[in-house]
Amino acid sequence: MWQFPVSDQVPQISGNRQACGNSFDKQQRTFIQMRTVLKVVDNSGAKKVMCIQALKGKKGARLGDTIIASVKEAMPNGKVKKGKVVYGVVVRAAMQRGRCDGSEVKFDDNAVVLVDKQGQPIGTRVFGPVPHELRQKKHVKILTLAEHIA
Amino acid sequence: MRLEKCWFCSSTVYPGHGIQFVRNDAKIFHFCRSKCHKNFKMKRNPRKVKWTKAYRRLHGKDMTQDSTFEFERKRNRPERYDRNLAENTLKAIKKIDKIRSDRASDHIKNRLKTGKVQRQKEARKQLELGIHLVKAPLALAQDSSLCLPKIKVNVSQAQTEENQPMED
Repeated sequence: MWQFPVSDQVPQISGNRQACGNSFDKQQRTFIQMRTVLKVVDNSGAKKVMCIQALKGKKGARLGDTIIASVKEAMPNGKVKKGKVVYGVVVRAAMQRGRCDGSEVKFDDNAVVLVDKQGQPIGTRVFGPVPHELRQKKHVKILTLAEHIA
Repeated sequence: MRLEKCWFCSSTVYPGHGIQFVRNDAKIFHFCRSKCHKNFKMKRNPRKVKWTKAYRRLHGKDMTQDSTFEFERKRNRPERYDRNLAENTLKAIKKIDKIRSDRASDHIKNRLKTGKVQRQKEARKQLELGIHLVKAPLALAQDSSLCLPKIKVNVSQAQTEENQPMED
């Protein structure tokens, strides 16, 4: 069955769709905001981070935005440890993002790549597909490390 | 700009329409509208959903093999712009489209032909059996021209005069 994401503390505000009784996608289509737990898809050592601030954006972060997060779960020997405050770039978001040709893209989960203050990724590999919206946000390094660009 | 095919119903998705869903194994699903998208989320198999092209092709309702389908194959190499080529391609698209739709409608017509013939046969049989509901059997016996015209009978003046009192 469709597994629900870990971010079940996210309230049901979503910019562009009305409240529906559909039990399948109740909590997936929202912004990434404080207390949203995201998956980390690089080899920096962290496994799960919780967003504590979305830089830019009143309602929250979307695909391609940067967030400040706190590491909640980490691999035993990695570059980042549990409890560390890090920056991250959202590379996959369950909320759809409009593209310049008018279509919309959405991914299966919320995933983030940890970066430093300058925007350079901490890890050396990125797993899973990434959108090419990152090119416009000047995260070229992440694109080069990605295995698939959606 | 690229015209995609909806993953569920196989209709073309024009720019500005639809949603692209990227799964974590990097497979991209294009949907033309929320109907197809919702069916996908319900995990329905398009091959079992009657109104999709996948079902129709699988069950032989629509044409599957034709040379006109070769023109629509996906090409990944961009062509250098050439005005003549573009013009000829546009003309060709129109013509190929017409040919393809004609062939497709012929295919459907042929498919429905056997049903039509059968229905007509059944109707004729029913009429034969139930002719007593239409015309009184006495009248039929009197005038054989009132039966089903298996043989063409010229309706002459004398016979039309006979019909009138019986219809009253």
